Amino acid sequence: MIRKVISGNEAVALGVKLARVGVTGIYPITPQTTIIEKLAEMRAKGEIETEIVRVESEHSAMAATFGAALGGVRAFTATASQGLLYMHEMIWWVAGSRVPVVMVVGTRAVGAPWNIWNEHTDFTSERDSGWIMAFASNPQEALDLTLQAFRISEDERVFLPMMVGMDGFILSHTKTNVLIPDQEQVDDFLLPRRQPYVIDPEDPIGMGNIFPPEGYMRLRESIDLALRNSEDIIKEIGREYNKKINPLGDYSTLNVSYKLEDADYAIVLMGAWAGDAMEAVDTLREKGIKIGMLRIRYLRPWSEKEIRNALKDKRAVLVLDRSTSFGRGGGPLYVEVKSTISDIVPQIKGVVSGLGGVTVNKSELLYIFNKFVEGLKDDVIWYYPKEVGKIELRTPRDIE
Amino acid sequence: MSLLEYQYFPVTRPNKGAGGRTGAWRIVKPVVDYNKCIGCKACFMFCPESTIVPSNGKVRVDYEYCKGCGVCANVCPVKAISMVNEQ
Ligand code: SF4
Ligand code: SF4
Repeated sequence: MIRKVISGNEAVALGVKLARVGVTGIYPITPQTTIIEKLAEMRAKGEIETEIVRVESEHSAMAATFGAALGGVRAFTATASQGLLYMHEMIWWVAGSRVPVVMVVGTRAVGAPWNIWNEHTDFTSERDSGWIMAFASNPQEALDLTLQAFRISEDERVFLPMMVGMDGFILSHTKTNVLIPDQEQVDDFLLPRRQPYVIDPEDPIGMGNIFPPEGYMRLRESIDLALRNSEDIIKEIGREYNKKINPLGDYSTLNVSYKLEDADYAIVLMGAWAGDAMEAVDTLREKGIKIGMLRIRYLRPWSEKEIRNALKDKRAVLVLDRSTSFGRGGGPLYVEVKSTISDIVPQIKGVVSGLGGVTVNKSELLYIFNKFVEGLKDDVIWYYPKEVGKIELRTPRDIE
Repeated sequence: MSLLEYQYFPVTRPNKGAGGRTGAWRIVKPVVDYNKCIGCKACFMFCPESTIVPSNGKVRVDYEYCKGCGVCANVCPVKAISMVNEQ
């Protein structure tokens, strides 16, 4: 194992290399592009044997990856924002086919208007597609979760695709210290690829063809059950990962608690701002405010048990969303958390912030947390760290 | 470990489809005279519906899908196939 200063995207590319991925369907989109650039570079140098399939859109990138996976090889792709939305149809097709595939999403705002910066709306909008969905909070976790994703997705008790989210730019382009496992360690951890069926001209099967209503519904239920049962399998694989690869990370739980045990107030969030939030929690703790944090690492499966357990007997819970669920008055995390704990926590508040790359650092988080502890009046607020200038709308020109 | 009970996959084996079934509208059907048939399989090659099935060196007609077009009867070099009225 070596330690290197690399970006999140490089960490993911190294994970793909170490997992001995057979085929990568690629189409570049900011901020994910450097993942595939790194892979192409490694391929050009002969460091990896991965077949890199360059395609003409994200829809095709997922289709090519899907085809390779059906053929029986470990397959990977990466995307972001509009690209993920363009893949949307194929994302459902892969999950419904129950075939193991791994994808990394360098999360980014969705247009219009055009915006290349970070938020989570692209990622969260896929939460009902049947994929296992993990979200990293630093480049190390992006690498670790990518490696675990292959193992989880190829487990015969799961057989579902898995995506790993990673904050665009904040993680994808920022370099930090990352522990890179040796090939032998990864070979010892990742089992040979398994999948429920393969396409093979010698033994033809029909896949994804028309299914009668009851058969279709039975398949839907099997996806739901496999996803919910994956919770224990993720923990089991996480413990093995701690032991065999990264003893410094802790993957024995789906979600991560910070100073929650004795806390009166709890913050719930997902992704890279967890680091700043932990510092903000420390500062408030020094002032004697009993506050803690729960970081959602797995959006799917949603660990109802873990989350209820972590947040029970809290006086109030604040959910931070970096994404939107329009028309609902709060972000997707707020809605999920509220439906999970509304009977055991008297006060649940929500804040939507950090959209489209809006900077939310420790000082902004401290401001939000302080307001929350004082008692936020509204259930959900949209928090802007800066004043937003008013833009004059143009009225249509009169046409004779 | 065996596959768990909840696992279910959207896979099927290739089979004849319900869509190609002829139904009740065919008027004439090909009948093979096995005393004449020499087993050349010309009918098998030319049947547009793939409903001539080679069997034991000769041929058999799959009447569930045969459309009664008569191509087989026309290509048979020894006139072993006659088109007979369904009724
Ligand atoms: S009648 Fe037409 S469809 Fe029927 S077996 Fe002959 S060629 Fe085929
Ligand atoms: S074409 Fe005539 S002779 Fe040849 S296999 Fe068919 S029925 Fe028999």
